[in-house]
Amino acid sequence: MSSPPQIFDKTLYARRRARAAKTVGDAGFLHRRAMEDIVERLEIVKRRFDLAAFDGAGDLTSMLTPACDVEDVISMDLAPARLPQTGLRLAADAEALPFAPHSLNLFVSLLTLHTANDLVGALAQARMALKPDGLFIAAVFGEETLGALRRAFYAAEAEITGGVSARVAPFAAIQDCGQALARAGFALPVVDVDKVAVSYDDPLKLLRDLRGMGETNTLMNRPGPLRRDVLMRAMALFAEAGGTEKFEIVYLTGWTPHESQQKPLKPGSAKMSLKDAIKGAS
Amino acid sequence: MSEAQDKPEIDRKLLEILVCPQTKAPLDYDREAGELISKKAGLAYPIRDGVPIMLIEEARTLTDEEMRAR
Repeated sequence: MSSPPQIFDKTLYARRRARAAKTVGDAGFLHRRAMEDIVERLEIVKRRFDLAAFDGAGDLTSMLTPACDVEDVISMDLAPARLPQTGLRLAADAEALPFAPHSLNLFVSLLTLHTANDLVGALAQARMALKPDGLFIAAVFGEETLGALRRAFYAAEAEITGGVSARVAPFAAIQDCGQALARAGFALPVVDVDKVAVSYDDPLKLLRDLRGMGETNTLMNRPGPLRRDVLMRAMALFAEAGGTEKFEIVYLTGWTPHESQQKPLKPGSAKMSLKDAIKGAS
Repeated sequence: MSEAQDKPEIDRKLLEILVCPQTKAPLDYDREAGELISKKAGLAYPIRDGVPIMLIEEARTLTDEEMRAR
């Protein structure tokens, strides 16, 4: 079996996440927003979850309400420094899960899978770790995330150096996320998007926020150090374009297949002809 | 007293469901060494401050001797 191409440097991502462990409390406004959203989703689902695994979601356990009905939680993170201080904890990569098949009832991934080199593979591993009728929820950054910053860097680099490089990593399109869920074998796959616009009086604050979250560029083929004049020009262009950055938090939800779930009937299994059905309706 | 007794124990619930992230094969818990051993992968995953580090890049490769002994 050939391994997928390595697009993201996971070792570097682990270091970035670890470095941001202390700052994510201030810079992690998107993480907090996503965690609040996930709590609401769990409250709506009338289901008890005996054992859950939360990936990259340090504080989520303490935010759970009784209505979420989650009994035990295993916290995991690529960077041990991002784990809570107590409880069931382990360091792991969402792309190489260390859980036995059918061991969990709920798997939540908080803004980590946008750096997956093989998204379908990661989702399939989570599906296998879940028991039948288990719930999967992942928040990932979507395609439009950091569009303004990306455009500003492109324009500034083209203007000053005459070339462009990938200063901001690409993010998955929404339809790709939906396809990935289905290809990974989840039933009832749903994808929805939360768009967040943040205005920055000082564009450098955006870069500080990204560093504070541990979300600076981790592309394998990331360009070399940024020239100061290019950075300053990019910041000026960003401000000229309105100084607003867009973030897309895409939620991927799916269930592991189970008898009790609604599914389409097999073709040819109809007990009534279409003609009769139409006649009956009129 | 031996050092092993000072090592925090891993929760049973966690131990029951952990497998090797590379091979998905079961693991042996080496209390003395504070490691989770995957014989199939030939890797030993460290336990640091009671936290299993289930990262392939962080695992120690088992020596031939260790492989034979197991």
